[in-house]
Amino acid sequence: MYDNQITGRAENLVKKFGDFKAVNKVSFELHRGEIFGFLGPNGSGKTTTIRMMLGLLTPTQGQVEILGTKMDGKSSSILPRIGYMSQSFSLYNDLTVLQNLNYYGQAYGLDSSERKLRVQEAVAMSGLTGSEHTHTKDLAGGWRQRLALSAAILHQPEVLFLDEPTAGVDPISRRSFWDLLYTLVAQGISVFITTHYMDEAEHCHKLAFIQHGEIIAQGSPEEIKKNIMPGQVLEIDTDQADKVIRILREAYQKGKLDYKDLELHGSLVHLITPQVQSHSRNIKKLLTADNISINSMSVVEPTLEDVFIACMRDKVPEVHHE
Amino acid sequence: MLIGGAIELLMVGWATSRPITNLPLMIWDQDHSPASRELVLALENTGTFLLEDQVQSLSPIEDALNHGDVIAALIIPPDYSTQLTSPLGKPTLSVILNGAESIPAREAQRAIEGVVHDLGEQVVIQHLGLDPEQTAGFNFSLRVWFNESLSEAYYTTPAELGLMLEFTILLFAAMTFSREKEFGTLEQMLVMPFSSLEIILGKAIPVILIGLADFGLMLGVVHFAFHVPIRGSGLLLFVLALGYTIVELGKGMAISVFSKSQHQAFLLVLMIGMIDFMFLGYAVPVESMPRIMQLLANIIPAHHWLNILRSILLKGSGLSSLWPSILALVILGLIINTFSLLYVRRKLE
Repeated sequence: MYDNQITGRAENLVKKFGDFKAVNKVSFELHRGEIFGFLGPNGSGKTTTIRMMLGLLTPTQGQVEILGTKMDGKSSSILPRIGYMSQSFSLYNDLTVLQNLNYYGQAYGLDSSERKLRVQEAVAMSGLTGSEHTHTKDLAGGWRQRLALSAAILHQPEVLFLDEPTAGVDPISRRSFWDLLYTLVAQGISVFITTHYMDEAEHCHKLAFIQHGEIIAQGSPEEIKKNIMPGQVLEIDTDQADKVIRILREAYQKGKLDYKDLELHGSLVHLITPQVQSHSRNIKKLLTADNISINSMSVVEPTLEDVFIACMRDKVPEVHHE
Repeated sequence: MLIGGAIELLMVGWATSRPITNLPLMIWDQDHSPASRELVLALENTGTFLLEDQVQSLSPIEDALNHGDVIAALIIPPDYSTQLTSPLGKPTLSVILNGAESIPAREAQRAIEGVVHDLGEQVVIQHLGLDPEQTAGFNFSLRVWFNESLSEAYYTTPAELGLMLEFTILLFAAMTFSREKEFGTLEQMLVMPFSSLEIILGKAIPVILIGLADFGLMLGVVHFAFHVPIRGSGLLLFVLALGYTIVELGKGMAISVFSKSQHQAFLLVLMIGMIDFMFLGYAVPVESMPRIMQLLANIIPAHHWLNILRSILLKGSGLSSLWPSILALVILGLIINTFSLLYVRRKLE
């Protein structure tokens, strides 16, 4: 639909702080009309990467290109075509909704009639009609994030960078935030978003998992589930999930059972293993021996959370530097 | 940061906790007699004075007072020794004090009066063998320039005014970037299509306006509430206040970019401000400080600024006598602002 046009590219990005490699050989591409999700635990290098993409930090090695322009700190000609919403609240607390939006509009040099129109749209889009004169410090978290997003896209950027935009926001607000994002992407914007919410990852067109500064998996959610998962997922529905996990773990330690990962998933138990069929009989036997009632047991599609956790496990963690 | 305060206290203490000494004194000895030389020697021996020069006419004295080079001048008349030795003679001494610096001037007055009093008693008792009651004593003619009543307000309020201006500018400038850094809005500003020069100007202009408005307000208070005169050109004063504002702005901006938080910026301003305070001659005249401190005073913009401020207000000085201070301020300003601009720009990019 947009000819898969590349709007941004990171090539072998490395950022060292002293001896610590915050980001190590990270490469990816952003495409028009796509949401690229950057997933990783806190301190894995997400923000460092986004700051290098924006030219706020100079990479130790590698380079960044946005809309065909190399980002090297002197690339201000490209800035009007980029939007950014930082991790901290990026608006001024002591200004009102309207003042903040007008400031953004003026900063990006919109002429007054156009600014008026876009500010009005932005107020409507963030659902703040009627609260134009409220100080932003008095807004609830979800509203603030929507307003910050509206401000970041006021100048209609072509590439949008969002750094954990939904951290600490309630699920309903997060949902409507994502609806907004989809509207934008449909208009042809490229979005780069960092998050540590798994459910949000499912909404992205492309994903990269980052851990200890390295990308450990990359692709569309389907590709990642298909190619990177170290096995299949056996879902066990039981009323005694904690007991089940204890029994299976004991069996694993005694060498009676082999699996890649065992996790509680809501009230269900997820067991990841390459050979599901041969294991399910074994497991059933183990559990019935302990008088555990099993409501159901079936092979299910892995969720991204399963994949993510399995991926992280697969990598032997290095010494953590934080 | 923690030991900074302790070191500063040590320095301020060292510089200020000493008696007032080395006040520059100028003497016009018209008598050239052993008696007049004895008087000069006695004045030097107090340690309060540093003999700046011996002159032969009034005009160098006037110049020196106008430039603020001396705190006091003593004129010994040609008949000093004759009057001193004749019974019922009345030796006359003229003293001119630089009232613009009233605290050192008072000290100078005290010291001269003390010396003359001692000398009088000696003369009476030793040389003439008379009873102190029987002599007419000294005739003391005291003139105070720039501040006839030696009002302390003339001395302290301009110092306060200069200092307040410095603190206002430094604080506002120091908050500019540190505040945005703390709130997390700085990053956002840096990805907006502003050049670093535009950002710096955008931050600088409000600080300059606030500084000048505040200066005008404070000048009004000093003038109307404390009756400190404005004898020089008001326009010149404001132009130079603007210049001084820009010098301090450079310092404040550098602090702001250097600091990670508003807290740190505030403490740095406090430390720098207190060092400058020391050189305003508020607690102790700079002349009484250790030599190294006197040299240091020359690189403190506030020191030159206060000289300008006092001179314009109290002496009505114009460019012709102010130019050394203005030149010093310009040179310091160029150095500070060049460094600051380069540093801030580098940090922003």
